[in-house]
Amino acid sequence: MILLQSPSRFLLQILQERVLSGEKGMDIDCHTVEFDDVRYHIQFSMRNPKVMVLSVSLPLPPPEAILHDDLPLGAVDAIKATYGPVVQILDPPKDGFDLTMKINLTKLPPDEEQRNAILTQIASIREVVLGAPLKLLLKHLASKTVAPNVDKLVALVHRPNESFFLAPQADKVTIVYPMRFQDSIDIVLATSFLQEFVEARRTAALNNVPSCMWSPAPPLELKGVPADALNANAGFVTFVVYPRHVESKKLDRTVWNLLTFHAYVSYHVKCSEGFMHTRMRRRVESLIQALDRAKSDAEKLKKLVHGASFKRMSLKNEGDSRF
Amino acid sequence: MDALSRPAVVIDNGTGYTKMGFAGNVEPCFITPTVVAVNDSFSSSAPPAARGAPAKGNWLAQHSAGVMADLDFYIGEEALARSRASSTYSLSYPIRNGQVENWDTMERFWQQCIFNYLRCDPEDHYFLLTESPLTAPETREYTGEIMFETFNVPGLYIAVQPVLALAAGYTTTKCEMTGVVVDVGDGATHIVPVADGYVIGSSIRSIPITGKDVTQFIQQLLKERGENIPPEESFDVARRLKEMYCYTSSDIVKEFNKHDREPSKYIKHWGGIKPKTGAKYTVDIGYERFLGPEIFFNPEIYNNDFTTPLQVVIDRCIQSSPIDTRRALYKNIVLSGGSTMFKDFHRRLQRDLKKIVDARLRASNTRLISGDPKAQPIEVNVVSHPIQRYAVWFGGSVLASTAEFYEACHTKAEYEEYGASICRSNPVFKGMY
Ligand SMILES: Nc1ncnc2c1ncn2[C@@H]1O[C@H](COP(=O)(O)OP(=O)(O)O)[C@@H](O)[C@H]1O
Ligand SMILES: [Mg+2]
Repeated sequence: MILLQSPSRFLLQILQERVLSGEKGMDIDCHTVEFDDVRYHIQFSMRNPKVMVLSVSLPLPPPEAILHDDLPLGAVDAIKATYGPVVQILDPPKDGFDLTMKINLTKLPPDEEQRNAILTQIASIREVVLGAPLKLLLKHLASKTVAPNVDKLVALVHRPNESFFLAPQADKVTIVYPMRFQDSIDIVLATSFLQEFVEARRTAALNNVPSCMWSPAPPLELKGVPADALNANAGFVTFVVYPRHVESKKLDRTVWNLLTFHAYVSYHVKCSEGFMHTRMRRRVESLIQALDRAKSDAEKLKKLVHGASFKRMSLKNEGDSRF
Repeated sequence: MDALSRPAVVIDNGTGYTKMGFAGNVEPCFITPTVVAVNDSFSSSAPPAARGAPAKGNWLAQHSAGVMADLDFYIGEEALARSRASSTYSLSYPIRNGQVENWDTMERFWQQCIFNYLRCDPEDHYFLLTESPLTAPETREYTGEIMFETFNVPGLYIAVQPVLALAAGYTTTKCEMTGVVVDVGDGATHIVPVADGYVIGSSIRSIPITGKDVTQFIQQLLKERGENIPPEESFDVARRLKEMYCYTSSDIVKEFNKHDREPSKYIKHWGGIKPKTGAKYTVDIGYERFLGPEIFFNPEIYNNDFTTPLQVVIDRCIQSSPIDTRRALYKNIVLSGGSTMFKDFHRRLQRDLKKIVDARLRASNTRLISGDPKAQPIEVNVVSHPIQRYAVWFGGSVLASTAEFYEACHTKAEYEEYGASICRSNPVFKGMY
């Protein structure tokens, strides 16, 4: 069981290999898809082995989400601020993508530690772009102000065609997630997971984390939001974030965790299902063993004969007893 | 966007290494050892006395400790690193000789592959998994159960590894779905004849010599020669030396002579660092370079129990196949798997196999009475291609990007209607023939 990390393992691997590979380098043209339909297209050409062209496509934005030139608010500034001269945004982006960037690996700092830090940030492009508006709002919270020109309730892209909502105030930001799942078992598991999650929050050890509520119906903050954005089948989760949760170092982690809340829950649901299957399998196996022990010798003999006939059916192999 | 418009996830779980990535790519995103490090500190430290009359609190503590242990695990290189660093973790290899042996760790392995390596949502993608040609249908059901019930995949196809390896030739030349696949991986070696995309099951051969044996042989030779390698590292070092320096010779006697005449040209030096003390050490590798791969062609130098050379096994495999397929089979012998990567492996194999075939032809021609038509020479072709190392994965990637793939998949709806038994058969589909 792990927590999802912000940098994409694949992007990081490919960048690190390329940095270490010296002057030679093969053509690379590949694509990957992450959860919530974030797609990457990675290109290296032999002519320019130290330049990576990276295109990113983002989840389909729901109608209520705020965008700026098809990118989340503040994304371009965030890219410039994070990567400096290493990254150049190409306009227009490649067909079918929301963003295309040229990453010049010769402009990386020579110091290994600094270089790896930047590579990790490039691999975290998802957080930089999708998290930009969230980071902007939470930075204002850290300084106990409200960003200028924002509405009382802001919708941000969470997943394809799904938003999450923020109500920014100077002393706190309330964040609401309508939770949706496809599979009927998932809905049940997720709902009970979320209730447990809220329960766990109440224990003393977790007194300092953002407060958290779950409700089957939309909370008051979402008044006036179009009904389409509110049809959640696993209820609504509300977090209240205070300035202390977004102090300097904590900010990035908080942004990432809020940004991937659905993936986090969904991953836990899948793991629980796997976990239950493991337990069920063990139980069945121990029951079968118990039954086997109870069987009489005569029956065991029969089984052996049966086993032999099965063996004849299996495929021939040369002098190998291992199969 | 729905699952049909996203690339399928292709995972080839080998005994030694798992290759995973997205259909349509040329290379897998990750090649990682098929191993899981599980935390067994809880289960093993539980005092046996507690079995008698466990107090309720104790039972609960044990139960939740077991739960924690189930959640605490790593896979791949991370697993190897964990187990080296601490004795809390023990390694589990879920696949042995091409067959899944431990479903618990296999499921956890998949979980990490999907969520942590590929980072995708399994509900969003069709999946193509692979299995060894000797897999029982029950195993396929188990796989289907895990994929559909735990991971909720929308569609699943379980392909036979050698068939995919044949399909890997698809883009380089024209698609030829008749041939013999020689798959030499880490823990299993199979020789599998395929006609029009269907495996000729009765003629499959397996031999007990694999990549792991080459590594062990080299490890043993290095040890006997007194190379100073820390024992805890010696297998891993032998493996790396093998992958970097081994090659196939055309004649070992000549090769020994070459090495003796010009040792400086043939002996390679390798530098390592002892994990415990941090001291540097060097290893020389000489004869091992060609003796390692030689165990396929002359197995008696390694093992007294199995002495049939690879070329003989291939020949027998083809001879036991239907007579009308044999010519086509000799003509398209396709290599697949990491342990066919030794330099000149295909040349040696082709030459040695051709010798057998030609000798048989000569013998039958001399038996002819004059006037009878002579048998036509048989073309023997061992095909080598650049993506051999992960030919199975690549074949999967090619096939899973065709429209026919999505139709050949079993869907979640079908699974729910008919149950896991639908996973038993996975029809050959267009693109495969
Ligand atoms: N370049 C190479 N030369 C020789 N052997 C190699 C090379 N690369 C990988 N191998 C060996 O190939 C084996 C892995 O092959 P693979 O086909 O991935 O196995 P499997 O599918 O059974 O897990 C390992 O034993 C590895 O040491
Ligand atoms: Mg394999």
